[in-house]
Amino acid sequence: MTATAEYEQRLAIARLIHRFNFGPTPGQYAELLQRGLEATRATVLEHGLADPGLDSVPEASLPNLGPIPLTNATAFWNAIYSGQAELVSWSLDRMAASRYPLTDRMTWFWHGHWATSVSKVLYPLTMQNQYNTMRTYALANFEDMARKMVVDGALNYWLDNEENYVSSPNENLAREFMELMTLGVNKFTQHDVTAAARALTGYSTNPSNGVVTFDEKQHYSEPVTILGTTSKLNAETFASFVVSKQENAKFITDRLWFRFVSGSTTPQASLASSFTSRDISSLVSALVHSSAWSEPANSLVKSPVEWFVGACKALKVRPSSLNVGDTQWSLTQMGQIPFNPPNVGGWPFGQAWLSGVAFQYRFDLAQSIVTKGDLSPLSVPKSKMVQACADWLGVAEWSRRTGSALATATGSPSELALAALLSPEYVVSA
Amino acid sequence: MINCEFDRRRFLQWTGASAFAAMSTQLSLESLASAANSSPLPLTTPILVMVTLYGGNDGLNTVVPFTDPTYKSVRSNIALSGSQVLPFSDTLAFNASMPSISALYGKNKVAIVQGVSYPNPSLSHFSSMAIWQSATLSADATSGWIGRWLDIQPHNPFNAIGIGSTLPPSMIGERSVASMVDVRGIQLPWGPVAPLLPRLGRTSSSDVRLEAGAATSISDFYATAQLLSPLVPTSPTGSNLGQQLSIVSTLINANVPTRVWEVNLSSFDTHTGEQSDQNALLAEVDAAIGAFMTSISAGSRSNDVTVMIYSEFGRRVMSNAGDGTDHGTSAPVLLIGNSVKGGLYSEQPPLNTLDVNGNLQVTTDFRSVYGGLLHDVLNTPVGDVIPSWTSALSVH
Repeated sequence: MTATAEYEQRLAIARLIHRFNFGPTPGQYAELLQRGLEATRATVLEHGLADPGLDSVPEASLPNLGPIPLTNATAFWNAIYSGQAELVSWSLDRMAASRYPLTDRMTWFWHGHWATSVSKVLYPLTMQNQYNTMRTYALANFEDMARKMVVDGALNYWLDNEENYVSSPNENLAREFMELMTLGVNKFTQHDVTAAARALTGYSTNPSNGVVTFDEKQHYSEPVTILGTTSKLNAETFASFVVSKQENAKFITDRLWFRFVSGSTTPQASLASSFTSRDISSLVSALVHSSAWSEPANSLVKSPVEWFVGACKALKVRPSSLNVGDTQWSLTQMGQIPFNPPNVGGWPFGQAWLSGVAFQYRFDLAQSIVTKGDLSPLSVPKSKMVQACADWLGVAEWSRRTGSALATATGSPSELALAALLSPEYVVSA
Repeated sequence: MINCEFDRRRFLQWTGASAFAAMSTQLSLESLASAANSSPLPLTTPILVMVTLYGGNDGLNTVVPFTDPTYKSVRSNIALSGSQVLPFSDTLAFNASMPSISALYGKNKVAIVQGVSYPNPSLSHFSSMAIWQSATLSADATSGWIGRWLDIQPHNPFNAIGIGSTLPPSMIGERSVASMVDVRGIQLPWGPVAPLLPRLGRTSSSDVRLEAGAATSISDFYATAQLLSPLVPTSPTGSNLGQQLSIVSTLINANVPTRVWEVNLSSFDTHTGEQSDQNALLAEVDAAIGAFMTSISAGSRSNDVTVMIYSEFGRRVMSNAGDGTDHGTSAPVLLIGNSVKGGLYSEQPPLNTLDVNGNLQVTTDFRSVYGGLLHDVLNTPVGDVIPSWTSALSVH
């Protein structure tokens, strides 16, 4: 293999394992380099198998906390906040522990897609129910997923559909469902929004457990005209109708491309055709098998959660074994904590994660992971330690800058690991 | 024993303040330095520094009625006496963890306003802090009192600044919000690896665009840290409040055009083991205030600055079995400054005539304290900020 071909191979394999599987476990990158690109594609796509890693993460048991008490609410609020923190820990632990991480990686993607925030929903149980729905459908059929999500309690509460009555339809869910979740901007008119809002009337949500109930009497029972088609619709049939539109295939394909491949290039036109049946696993498989992975332009910045989980995996640290308050504070300061996206548009991407302030919190997190972590992959002769570190963390190649800086730290595996986790080559999936 | 942790973070989360804070500007030190150069605050313009103590500071173990027989009997497990107090009258003393404030009091630079709360005080952290910060008796208020003051000032992002990464509701108005300076944004990496890390901030010829961006973010961080290093200790240890106030005093002395500052400290919710916890917290407050006043007094704005120290409530007169105290009502507010007329203001509520819940009565409405500060420090008619309120307790 030529030097260029070898680099392209290292790059493609590093990208696949980082982007679809939260990064390699110790030794995995070196093993995949041996087995080659096709084997890597098959590996990152594995899902739905019995997973002892996930089985080791205890379920977050979140009670239904009921309505906000009018008096003596201290215990209630303590339960809300501790439940929220527990939920975040639970999701991070799953991401780091899973032996077949694609399902949780896709759930994380869908969480950013159906971006619902606990800051308004408040109840951790309701958020967990939504998360589990997204997980169930993470690689299933998108129409089925959309039909579940349009009547999801957290999403309904988040977008003001928790009490949507025929007398005064609320347009928030209707608009965002089409604009941010299924079709994209400028694919519909205000008339379509008004009509869609009517289709979504009659639903109410119990915020504390996310149970959505339908009241026929509060539902707009006449036919509505959306995108030129007139029919009687409820929430589920509305979702099916919108998802059946051709624009939906392109929209979802683009969303996946931007989050998994590149924010600055566009997908090959053929990719959307693999989503004709709305089967998510087909689309993801097509993405993994595309030729995008050796294109130099397709670099991405790891989001704070992806960077954090990747580091935990490599160092065999369970996120909840770190100081949970400090971890969640640092992630919040970096701008990304599960269950709390900044708005319905989801988290930003790319350059947005590269602020000077973020570096400080990244240092704090890396410090705590390295202190607790397993550094045995660096138990090699000093002369081989820098390269061993790249093979361990799944870095295609150190730059001269980073290589020479790391070479000064070979006296201490913990210093070397800490600097490597903070290096541009690890913060970015080049 | 319930140990309900109440801190600033939770309060802000509860009030949804983080949503508003998105509108707030995070000021860099560069922009502050440039504002101080281009439009310095004219000398003699008064400045307010608010110190918020989250959790409900025990007023009776701060300004201590150390000779009161009721004090000694109903909280015998936590009552302070002997070397634990610094008496300044026959009946009152500072907690001995407050030597600097005690010394300032001796120089008539500390006004102690006694018995401060509001009618029918709420014992809920959240409701009471919301009332104090909004200066309305509704816990559902949508604006803070400094925020409403900002609403009627000519727009300027430097008018009011909160130290931290999230604004307190007091500084959020209907149309304007204060800016923020993040004290945590400037802690340098530490430990043996620290000297190596700046090297990662150099761009490399092999960098793709985003890698170069990541490298630049690291060099930006170190450049900012260098700019800030005269202002803040760069080690991760040290007093949190001390760091915050050290930034404020440096920026005040640099004539940054800011009229209102807010700093804060959490963990005053001393349901158990109160003495050691509160003493440590008060010592932190005292050291921070002492250093702050020393720095201000040495600068050109010595007489311009007034500090207000307050908490959402005081604590129960009777202690509990866990050597702590439960939520209470009125407590003293401390106002400190070289132009403050030191001494005692208003009446100390009697310890043997309590309200129906066993709490201290209220002798001063906190809005009167704000009224005095609005008049004397912010030069604004009280009613413009606190609707239909006119009372003003002046300590200047």
